[in-house]
Amino acid sequence: MAAQAAIVGVGSTPYYFRGESAPQTLFELLGKAFFAAVADAGLKPEEVDGLAFFASGFDAALLIEHLGLRNITFAHCVSGYGGGLAAMLDLASMGIETGRAKNVVCFGGMQQIGRRLGQAIGNFAPTTDNIFHRIAGLSGPGQALALMARQHMHRFGTRREAFGEVVLSSRTYASTRATSIRRKVPTLDEYMASPMLADPLCRMDFCLETDGALAFVLSGADRAADMPNKPVYVAASAQVGTRDWGRAFFWMGQTDADFVSAGHREVAQRLWATSGYKPADIDVALIYDHFSPLVVMQLEDFGFCARGEGGPFVESGALRLGGALPTNPHGGNLSEGYVVGTTHIREAVEQLRGTAVNQVTGARTALLGGGPAPTPMSATILSNER
Amino acid sequence: MDRRSITPDFSALEVPMDVWSEPFWQAGTADGRVIMPRCTACATFRWPPGPFCPSCHTQEVEWVSAGAARLYSFTILPVPAADTEARPQFRVPALAEFADAPGVRLVSVLADAPIDGLAIGDALTIDWRAAANTSVPVFRLAQDKR
Repeated sequence: MAAQAAIVGVGSTPYYFRGESAPQTLFELLGKAFFAAVADAGLKPEEVDGLAFFASGFDAALLIEHLGLRNITFAHCVSGYGGGLAAMLDLASMGIETGRAKNVVCFGGMQQIGRRLGQAIGNFAPTTDNIFHRIAGLSGPGQALALMARQHMHRFGTRREAFGEVVLSSRTYASTRATSIRRKVPTLDEYMASPMLADPLCRMDFCLETDGALAFVLSGADRAADMPNKPVYVAASAQVGTRDWGRAFFWMGQTDADFVSAGHREVAQRLWATSGYKPADIDVALIYDHFSPLVVMQLEDFGFCARGEGGPFVESGALRLGGALPTNPHGGNLSEGYVVGTTHIREAVEQLRGTAVNQVTGARTALLGGGPAPTPMSATILSNER
Repeated sequence: MDRRSITPDFSALEVPMDVWSEPFWQAGTADGRVIMPRCTACATFRWPPGPFCPSCHTQEVEWVSAGAARLYSFTILPVPAADTEARPQFRVPALAEFADAPGVRLVSVLADAPIDGLAIGDALTIDWRAAANTSVPVFRLAQDKR
């Protein structure tokens, strides 16, 4: 089926190191991104009639009030957290396809003042289900995911050098971008000497904690061709919730096969099976890089290499420009900025408009994956061809 | 250097319980046993304890001994020290699997273990340590390799 919706406008604030966006408020950041995205699409704010969120979303009423919106007929949120990143575009696309809204704005935003996402687990009130993590001392997602990375190394011989290459590739891309928080490219020796925060994860394996907001306008594919920018079509999407992955790092009871995955196994199967696309059709990959080992595991989930071969695949230079699968050419969550993965959507749009800083020559299709996090998980294929 | 993991103090920890999880805590507190809930209809274990079998959706469980434990995975976390001159300390969150409770992974902390020789598959024992309202399970290496 031809794509029904396209990303027609993108807006973003600068990315700030954690806390440095003050004294702006989170709603100020979201509003700035919103107005920039709407202007980029050649629309007026009152023409926006849909809002779509993920990762617990934002207070829609407060946004509508602050932004002076009056014509909202569709305002919905994907369940799950970072895993729903791609599903947000799917949701917006569904709103347009069903005629519920004409111009849907998707949001990402993050401001970490007085709290840190990296310590999210430790901040939860104790429950019968999460008490074990508190006894263990697992206070953040990276600490819990370290146990999965260690099992992957044990089962497949994956080396720290592979995680290091994810980081070095990310930094190399980020080094050319003015938007990046971390631009200095370390050597592999410097990576190997980086202090262990959650062995086998060192400091450089952890993504940034940053502030910022992004917004994306989606409109009907038929109208998109007449709008100012080259349309980026939502070509295919998949969302899957399964007990085999469950609450992921909040649980640790995944099946043996899923424990060494990034939770995208069934998402990938569904995405390829329902869309007719295959891994070889993807020109650029936007892989959620909150922690570098999870990039290796996602590449296996999506079938860019066989299970267990993600390490050698990455170490071959596959992620770099000119490699087998240019991945996160904006520097990603590890080096450019972390706004719950929404910077990946911006990069996909720039790549498919042909305006990216680290442009993949002739890129036509991009894969966007949600973050390895509690199920449901999601992925989307974006294309500049309808 | 002999680096050993810390043994956390749980004396102030309040453990939330419900009707489905209570037997686990009670058996450990009473006599140090580790028991797990098994479906009475299809024998599938559920963890954490909950109201339905994830396989056949039956509610009833029987609590059975979990059997021998092995280390499935672990991480090593540096513990921030108040005194910068103090020896570095480490906490080891770990996962255990049990011979007689397939599908269950218990999340806890590996206490007082030599860090540098740890390996997936190491045999574990479970100690129960006092918390505010119950005892809590803590992993120990069955054979200290020091």
